[in-house]
Amino acid sequence: MIYLDHAAATPVSEKVLEAMRPYFLEDFFNPSAAYLPAKKVAAEYEAAKGVIAHAIGAKANDLVITAGATEANNLALGIVALDGSILYLATEHDSVRKTAERMGGEAINVLPSGVIDLDDLRAKITDDTMIISVALVNNELGTIQPLAEIAEIIRSVRMDRLKRGVKRPLYLHSDASQALNLLDVNVARLGVDMLTLNAAKVYGPKGVGALYVSHEVKLTPLTVGGGQERGLRSGTENVPGVIGFAAAITEAREHLNGNRKKYAKWRKILLDGLQEYELINRKHSLDNFLVLCYNGIDAERLIFLLEERGVYVATGAACAASKGVRSHVLKAIGLNDAQIAGSLRITLGETNTDDQIYEAAEAINEVVLIEKERIER
Amino acid sequence: MSQPATVFVGMSGGVDSSVAAMLLVEQGYNVVGVYMKNWSQDLPGMKCPWADDLADAKRVAVKLGIPFEVWDFEKAYREKVVDYMLAEFRKGNTPNPDVMCNQEIKFKLFYEKAMAKGADFIATGHYARTGRGLLRAVDENKDQTYFLYRISDEALEHTIFPIGGMLKPEVKKLAAEKGLHNAYKKESMGVCFVGEVGMRDFLKEYIDVQPGEIREMETEKVLGYHDGAVFYTIGQRHGLYLSGEKGKINDGMPYYVVAKDIEKNIVYVSKNLNDAHIWATELKLTDVVMRGGAGGQMMSKILVRLRHRAPLIPASFDGETLHFENAVKRPASGQSAVLYDGEICLGGGIIC
Repeated sequence: MIYLDHAAATPVSEKVLEAMRPYFLEDFFNPSAAYLPAKKVAAEYEAAKGVIAHAIGAKANDLVITAGATEANNLALGIVALDGSILYLATEHDSVRKTAERMGGEAINVLPSGVIDLDDLRAKITDDTMIISVALVNNELGTIQPLAEIAEIIRSVRMDRLKRGVKRPLYLHSDASQALNLLDVNVARLGVDMLTLNAAKVYGPKGVGALYVSHEVKLTPLTVGGGQERGLRSGTENVPGVIGFAAAITEAREHLNGNRKKYAKWRKILLDGLQEYELINRKHSLDNFLVLCYNGIDAERLIFLLEERGVYVATGAACAASKGVRSHVLKAIGLNDAQIAGSLRITLGETNTDDQIYEAAEAINEVVLIEKERIER
Repeated sequence: MSQPATVFVGMSGGVDSSVAAMLLVEQGYNVVGVYMKNWSQDLPGMKCPWADDLADAKRVAVKLGIPFEVWDFEKAYREKVVDYMLAEFRKGNTPNPDVMCNQEIKFKLFYEKAMAKGADFIATGHYARTGRGLLRAVDENKDQTYFLYRISDEALEHTIFPIGGMLKPEVKKLAAEKGLHNAYKKESMGVCFVGEVGMRDFLKEYIDVQPGEIREMETEKVLGYHDGAVFYTIGQRHGLYLSGEKGKINDGMPYYVVAKDIEKNIVYVSKNLNDAHIWATELKLTDVVMRGGAGGQMMSKILVRLRHRAPLIPASFDGETLHFENAVKRPASGQSAVLYDGEICLGGGIIC
């Protein structure tokens, strides 16, 4: 098997699994229980949260643990229900886009490169705007957004509001689900007020996420009950999940430098070895993302042909492709329907080896040729 | 060398239509696979599998190296099949949406569009055969002519049923041998888009609950209450919530729905398996379709099928009413009675 879809899912690493194991078995206690063994588990849970928080330059109490990134994004945008409006990047994941749309949010355009159009952002900020949501790394293109620059714009808007006596706050939220394998993510440097994290994309367990929340932001809980996570996300703590997330994020940081070199090398091997494609994400992208367009070819057919050869890739976002919906991300950067239909997404990761990358290039060339010959017949 | 004939094959993602497409390719036809998107909405307790089915169909098409298209018939399906079905249920009938789907969608819209796109033939994975008209499948257990009796003669003349001569186990075995990934895929049940169990839930999405009485046929005694007579079918014995003195009304024998008064919203039930409402020696048909110019005169010694997979029953037909020698269990009104002369499907009609 050659797995080239690491943006969709990553396997849990051995270390992560080992770290989680005891918390399914002997250390299964509810952290809220009164006896000492449970208190020990509660302390280990908090320590694990501290590890996750520390990785992004925050403290354990700044994090709200959720059941994945989708919930974290919903929780972040929920503050607008009180008062104000949302601006979100046109290429955001559906968990941001659909939540924002439901609250009457407005999309900010991207340039053909996939990078935010800062002029459009400036033009769309009004006194009603309460939250701006821009993913640090786009999940289909790997595009890295200039969050520090966006934060700078937001700072000047805040100053201006204060000067004019406008009380409404303005916050920057970012979904960093895809970022942690290659970027050194730090909330202060990025200038974000809220940041979404996702264990499932960094070789941690699925169904575990976190929302970093600065002290400025007053969240409205989506889930009420026992008052866990400072009352912002009730429900018995997912202890093994958080322990696993902490182990995963620690590993990701250890691999950061090695990953950068490795993925840059593999990206080059693929771009040199593949034939007759157009590279969609040429600039401002993480090296482990390659979006290739094969003009006139139906990329979904390539996926099925590659699947028979044990090579697994995606078209657009995995969930979008299977429902026959054209990727809104590729549309937002200006691709036409035929280009979108011809686009393959390759996302490299820890499961890959040098040999696999060469083999994958060969397999992709082979199936592209099969389709080309079929069309010509 | 002459050009091979072009066949547009309806591919549902199931093993039958996949093998049908594969056989056509092997026989040298110029084959185009088409997924008909008729329904995509999820319902309470039911996730519509259309996206997975579409992917399965496309996967097979890619493996066979044939072009593949998705034709969106959702609007037409809603109007011609679902709305018809709901209207019939509201009248108190129990319509068969598969019959309507074949008549209006697969062998009309699909057929017409395929022909307009240059098809010489269409094909489906139905268990049926063609020859002197529409013929029953070799696999008596899978024969689907019950659902096909209303399709036009014109469409049938341009139709190939590649697996009509095969037994289902042979189809599965062949699929597995040829490495089709869906060889052992679970068959979709009942109606095209909603399993038989789900029909009531499906109807409740569209038809409001209307509480009413359940009465005993013989005594008019109120035995319980229901949530809408339209949700009940003659012959039904499950899902009846009967109250009253336990043991007295329920001596272990089940109650059957034997009649419905749609206007008064009353469901009549009986324990009497000999109730005249359950049995019939005559069935009046409406909306009769006779295939290939058959009919017009008294037809004796024909065979009739009153339900999919039900045994063939000897009968005679005078163009309007079916006559049986022995009483038959009366199907719900709105269901189809399909007529046969040996292996030939003569046509049929809707039971009044």
